[in-house]
Amino acid sequence: MQARAPGSPVRAALAEYGPLFVVLALLVGFFSLKTGHFATLANFATIANQIPAPSLVAVGVTFVLIAAEIDLSVGSVVGLSGSVLGVLFLQRHLPMPVAIAACLASGVAAGLFNGWVTTGFKLPSFIVTLGMLEIARGATYWVTHSQTQYIGSPIESVAATSLFGLSLPFYVAVFAVACGQFVLIRTVFGRYVMAAGTNPEALRFSGVDPRPIKRKVFLICGVLASVAAVIDVSRFQSADPNAGIGLELQAIAAVVIGGTSLMGGRGSVISSFVGVLIISVLGSGLAAMGAQDEVKRVVTGIVIVLAVIIDRYRRR
Amino acid sequence: MSMKTLISLILCAAVVAGCGQASDTASSKPETAKAGKPKVALVMKSLANAFFQTMQKGAEDHQKAHPSDYDLIANGIENEQDVPKQVELVEQMIAQKVDAIVIAPADSKALVPVCKEAMDAGIVVVNIDNKLDVDALKEKQASIPFVGPDNRKGSKLVGDFLAKSLKKGDEVAIVGGLAGAFNGVQRQLGFEDAMKACGANIVSEQPADWDTAKAETIVAAILTQHPQLKAVLCANDSMALGAIGALNGANRIKQVAVVGFDNIAAVQALIKEGKVLATADQHGDQIAVEGIQYALEILTKKSAPQDKELPVDLVTAESLAKTKS
Repeated sequence: MQARAPGSPVRAALAEYGPLFVVLALLVGFFSLKTGHFATLANFATIANQIPAPSLVAVGVTFVLIAAEIDLSVGSVVGLSGSVLGVLFLQRHLPMPVAIAACLASGVAAGLFNGWVTTGFKLPSFIVTLGMLEIARGATYWVTHSQTQYIGSPIESVAATSLFGLSLPFYVAVFAVACGQFVLIRTVFGRYVMAAGTNPEALRFSGVDPRPIKRKVFLICGVLASVAAVIDVSRFQSADPNAGIGLELQAIAAVVIGGTSLMGGRGSVISSFVGVLIISVLGSGLAAMGAQDEVKRVVTGIVIVLAVIIDRYRRR
Repeated sequence: MSMKTLISLILCAAVVAGCGQASDTASSKPETAKAGKPKVALVMKSLANAFFQTMQKGAEDHQKAHPSDYDLIANGIENEQDVPKQVELVEQMIAQKVDAIVIAPADSKALVPVCKEAMDAGIVVVNIDNKLDVDALKEKQASIPFVGPDNRKGSKLVGDFLAKSLKKGDEVAIVGGLAGAFNGVQRQLGFEDAMKACGANIVSEQPADWDTAKAETIVAAILTQHPQLKAVLCANDSMALGAIGALNGANRIKQVAVVGFDNIAAVQALIKEGKVLATADQHGDQIAVEGIQYALEILTKKSAPQDKELPVDLVTAESLAKTKS
């Protein structure tokens, strides 16, 4: 017992994350052979600066999926929150902190709406968040008149602040992943989220109402989407009304690659983060190769399915 | 129970409203037609795109300024790939018995049959923005006039301006639009023309679907592969924003020039800051207006339809300073 104790968490971690890192290493190895400057610090820093927004969204979606719900509206919420920021700052001439607060408030509002309507009317979240996808995107076009809002240097500092060659948003994303994993594994709330996904009846019989838990999960997802929006607006120094289109599917793909079950009850925030890494490395590597668009899409699809197959075999 | 009654109430209301509308148009149709004020239908691409919003707004403003000349029915589709929806829109306009249809086709081939259908129904059809495919038109034995800018010429202008600051053999990259979109392809060709003429070396040419975030990923990857890269040519301004994002991230904004296309407000600001070198303005607000005026002209004169080319202008820091003063 004593001899195994120090080794077992490492072994457990290897069993949990090993296959995913193997996939990631294979991709990095492949692209390094195929292109000239892939396995360089500069390139890894570039990728690290691209992933904060998708990572934050993936953390939120992981919680939602573990609770056996789904959130299809995250991409639109990213678009709406960012646009609220841009419009309030540029057209209403509000100070930047107020605009950022309103941006986060948009995420809170969307999350609350998704949660309350889903649990209050006992509706499938697939439908509710599909509605929200349309509502938020429509509202985005409405507030921006479909015009990209150029902010420039006032928002630059968020993404431009860097430490050891990595941007502030990257650290924010890593912090969110660490917090998410801690909450999921080490807190009572995390246990309840898992239970709400596996067996909400059992949870209810043990005296815990699963509805507030599900509402909180949607709230987390909405807030993280709006934080992702602040990061993306800063990165491009502008709020694009088409930002985040298709992001929900990209996030679900990353989370599922990470082994989180679409049926709920099982999943890991860290694995979702590695899923985001896999998708980002793939996108970046294929672009470095200058692959045809058709090829990019086919390969991305194949890697998603393969990663899930590998995950399935590992669990047997 | 209450839900059921609510739903049935809504359904009843919808049916009643629907009937009302149908009988309305049916009864009022002959009168308006006889009144001699033509009905022009504007069928747009995605109104999610600022460019088409500008275009539609231009048309609406023009109609408000000339209310006695014609009535305008403007419609757009939700996203640019929703070709079937646009075909349905044209079919609806035929059913509405409009006098003219001015259309910015979402697909240069798939819209040809329904446009031919409209012409057979005696409707004047004018093609704007994105040119319908010549072979498809030939096959249907239809001749539809095109009113719009020459994208290839426009992007050549932008490319030539960039060429002035390039040397022979300099490495450049081209970021294209949605794979297969006619105007995007034309812009890429114009960029290629200009770069070949000045002897620059095109090291990469990839589509980024008109999308800011996608363009950033692609340009960032190109930057790491080509440390000597001197310029990025983007087929629209949204992607130029993505290129700027990638350059900021790689700290190479000073070494690499960026050009775009469309002249959106966000890029105007970047041109003034010196981060973007140039873009092209195809006067989006005028394209639909020109198309409508052309349709009205055909209606009154019954003239033989011919294409009409609209100007594309180069936009640089210098030209922006001039328009300000």
